[in-house]
Amino acid sequence: MKKLIAMLLALVMVFALCACGATPSAEAPAAEGKVFNIYAWNEEFKGFFEKYYTVPEGVTVNWIITPSDNGAYQQKLDEALLNQANAADDEKVDLFLAEADYILKYVNTDATQDITKLGVTDFSNTYKYTVQAATDPAGVVKGVSFQCCPSALIYRRSIAQDVLGVSEPDEVQAKLDSWDKFNAVAADAKAKGYYMTASFAETYRVFSNNCSSPWVDENNNLQFDPQIEAWIAQTEEFVKNGYTLTAGVWDQEKNDQMFANGKTMCFFGPAWYFNFCMGNAQDPENGCSGDWAICEGPAAHFWGGTWLLAPAGTDNPTMVADIMNTFINDEEVCSALVANEAQFSNNMAVNAKFAEDPDYGSAFLGGQNDVAVFSAMTDNIVWENHTIYDQLLNEGLQNNLREYFQGTVDKETALANFYAYVNETYPTIVTP
Amino acid sequence: MKNAENTKGRVLLILSRIVVYCILIFLSIVCLFSFYMLIINATRSNAQLQAGFTLLPKNNFFVNLKNAWTDASINIPRGMLNSFFIAACSALLTTYFSALTAYGIHAYRFKLRKAAFYFIMAVMMIPPQVSAVGFIQMMYKLKLTNSYIPLILPSIAAPVVFFYMKQYLESVLPMEMVEAARMDGSNEFMTFNRIVLPIMKPALAVQMIFSFVSSWNNYFIPALLLDKAELKTVPIMIAQLRSADYSKFDMGKVYMFILLAILPVMVVYIILSKAIIKGVTAGSVKG
Amino acid sequence: MDKNERTRRKGVSYAKWGYIFILPFFIAYFIFTLTPQIMTIYNSFFENYRDGLTQVGPNFVGLENYVKLFTPDKSGTIGMVKYFGNTLVLWIMGAVPQIVVALLLAVFFTSYRLNIKGQQFFKTVIYMPNLIMAAAFSMLFFTLFSPVGPVNQVLVAHGVLEKSIDFLSLKVPVRVLISLMNFLMWFGNTTILLMAGIQGIDQNLFEAAEIDGANSLQVFFRVTLPLLAPILVYTVITAMIGGLQMFDVPQVLTNGKGTPDRANMTMVMYLNNYLQTSKNYGMAGAVSVVLFAVSSALSLFVYNSLSSQYREAPKKRNRI
Repeated sequence: MKKLIAMLLALVMVFALCACGATPSAEAPAAEGKVFNIYAWNEEFKGFFEKYYTVPEGVTVNWIITPSDNGAYQQKLDEALLNQANAADDEKVDLFLAEADYILKYVNTDATQDITKLGVTDFSNTYKYTVQAATDPAGVVKGVSFQCCPSALIYRRSIAQDVLGVSEPDEVQAKLDSWDKFNAVAADAKAKGYYMTASFAETYRVFSNNCSSPWVDENNNLQFDPQIEAWIAQTEEFVKNGYTLTAGVWDQEKNDQMFANGKTMCFFGPAWYFNFCMGNAQDPENGCSGDWAICEGPAAHFWGGTWLLAPAGTDNPTMVADIMNTFINDEEVCSALVANEAQFSNNMAVNAKFAEDPDYGSAFLGGQNDVAVFSAMTDNIVWENHTIYDQLLNEGLQNNLREYFQGTVDKETALANFYAYVNETYPTIVTP
Repeated sequence: MKNAENTKGRVLLILSRIVVYCILIFLSIVCLFSFYMLIINATRSNAQLQAGFTLLPKNNFFVNLKNAWTDASINIPRGMLNSFFIAACSALLTTYFSALTAYGIHAYRFKLRKAAFYFIMAVMMIPPQVSAVGFIQMMYKLKLTNSYIPLILPSIAAPVVFFYMKQYLESVLPMEMVEAARMDGSNEFMTFNRIVLPIMKPALAVQMIFSFVSSWNNYFIPALLLDKAELKTVPIMIAQLRSADYSKFDMGKVYMFILLAILPVMVVYIILSKAIIKGVTAGSVKG
Repeated sequence: MDKNERTRRKGVSYAKWGYIFILPFFIAYFIFTLTPQIMTIYNSFFENYRDGLTQVGPNFVGLENYVKLFTPDKSGTIGMVKYFGNTLVLWIMGAVPQIVVALLLAVFFTSYRLNIKGQQFFKTVIYMPNLIMAAAFSMLFFTLFSPVGPVNQVLVAHGVLEKSIDFLSLKVPVRVLISLMNFLMWFGNTTILLMAGIQGIDQNLFEAAEIDGANSLQVFFRVTLPLLAPILVYTVITAMIGGLQMFDVPQVLTNGKGTPDRANMTMVMYLNNYLQTSKNYGMAGAVSVVLFAVSSALSLFVYNSLSSQYREAPKKRNRI
């Protein structure tokens, strides 16, 4: 059977149209592994890595990419990490990627290791919250992010002009710099026939990023932070008064609002969001590129970002450190990320350079220098009160409360469903 | 009188034909509509798809085709060959061995016969999700990741297919034929291959189609076991395209790939469904 | 049956061939499926899950998982019972029309009196929805019925609705959609199964019946149905098992949430909730054992009642 499979595979190889990219074959450095395994769920970092990182001679980089559908990525990664001690050197995980939403699941365990011991020590240009996110409770840093994702209030200039009488970022910011002002403006927008936001969860991250307590207390009891309560209260109000649509953050109903004929004034998102996910706004026929601008909004927050974590037991520690240093401290690489890839890099000095450049600006934002706005707001972003449960608790709360906001169930039922979800997802958490 | 009856019969027949054709056409339209949507979506760019569904095609078909076919990180032709290989092997194994097992239980009287039958019936009721996770862990321990063995060999034991074969044999197989073969000195294994299998042709073809399709569309287990790019199957590649990062995300490409992925299954289906019809005309069953 | 008795009386024992023929099946089954399955049952008596990357247990807890499963929450609902009800409703809504329509179509296609033209075309078309992956199929339905989708646009344009509604947030429409999708995906499949069954029936019987002056209905109830019984029993039982294990369509259409108000959460979706994040083999094991018990009881009941009803049929056939 095995022979048959091998034969067929050989045949398959002959038929395959494109051969695999040639890998450099030279002598490997002594003492370190020749195969470097990187676990990821998509190819974003692979693209940057292949463009901007020179792999040491003799080392083959092996990408193990598992799509995140159905939680397959974390499942795959978990098996590999738990099996790390028994795996052959060439099969060990040498580097893996994680998102902010679940990074602590890996950072807070022995599956990851102290990168300062590997030689990643210079965080002077790195944004503070990105380091905090990869730091365990004992203060040990386990990884770095190659990007920084401060998230801004993205507004339609023309609608702001109509509602607020101003459209320039500074003036708009002054009228929207607190939730009280934001809520009051929502009423004005409604009066003029506009929506303030297009999704019931549009402001969720802005609140949840600024919580003063974690999702669970020291006895593992589920608790609602005042910020979460504030989001619920605001959304209730917004839905009741028609200030927002009840679409989900990624729904088409919301995306339709990005067309020129859309009636929504505010969206929230980082650079990657308006550069890559607001396709309708950029549509040459029905879009409204240039009619947008960004400002900090009611509260500083971030959205997304990909961290590189160092697994314990890697047989290529030097290369791990080298990659991390390249993507946070190599000025050339970080500049290229900003200039060529529309990223907001994780290097303050490089970003500052772009922020001060009078020629740098985004056509989509009507020429506004987005790097300058983001640079100014990163100081206010905090990373605290996070738990390993955040991702699914945030998702679960939004999903279950959505039914309440849409009027399908009452609030008690929605919360009861949320608790049922929590019990299934995290057996250790005690629900009210 | 007889004439009148004949005319009445004819009218009735024509009427029922009209009704039947109407039902068939209606169902066909409903079924084809989803394909129509798929094709339409495959002709649209990502931005056009974001703008919602329309009934009219756009002009992005060949762009999507080119993008999908030449994607740098996923090799669609290769994925299709991989999937084809796995699905074909599974379909062959599953039908052959299920028929063999069904015949074994149907035709022979042995002590554990009833027990074996009820055992298989019982395990048929265990949801596959239950053993999936344990299966994955076992394959990790046996170092069978990145191998097609765990995707092909388990199909030898398919309780549902067995059950169908057993029921089919019950309704079509005259034991006289088996006995006649025995008289002619055919050994049991040959009898099965030469006499029983041909009789079961329609059933084999049916189950071959079903197992081919379900193996072709299987995502979860292969996704967890295969990570070498050259071994990946079509559904993994589609999932990979769908979870592509924001800068490469292209639904047009995804729809195109879904469309492409259906073509080989259609071909297999059309070939095998001919075998179902032939099986009847060539069927050696005579009362 | 009586034929085999006779064989044995003749003195040659073929019993060993029975064992030889079923051996490969059992070997493969024991290696690849049974081991994980036994682990499942065993696990249901243990506390065994992951908290992040930390493994908790396995610690023996007796029947505690089962007790938890059947403990009502504050509002008095027992999750397991509710999801069983959902599953049953969704299954009946999809399976009953599916089997009826499939039976009708199978009869149409095989009736040489009707002599349907373009059979190959129709048979291909009705099976086609099964070729699309459930995920892709759901994606299409999602776009069709979204608040800004074409269905809403048409209904609003023709004044049927005042303003567009979110079908996917309402209990009954979601149930209808799930059943419709299950129907579309599987009725062609069932038709083919039944057709193969009907074609296995000796054609002379139909001719004989017609010469005797039987009309179509009589042929159907007196000849086709009884002779098709084994395959029909198969269809009903597998449809039921498949229905009780319904997972991918509602999972994808409702994003795994069984929206709204968990009214479309099926038992396997519930089971899957335990496996997804926390790898809670204890609770998942308990859910599967319950699911297994329920399906076995139901299938056994259906198998026995349907089989006995038609037990007379095969004998008659042998005589002809």
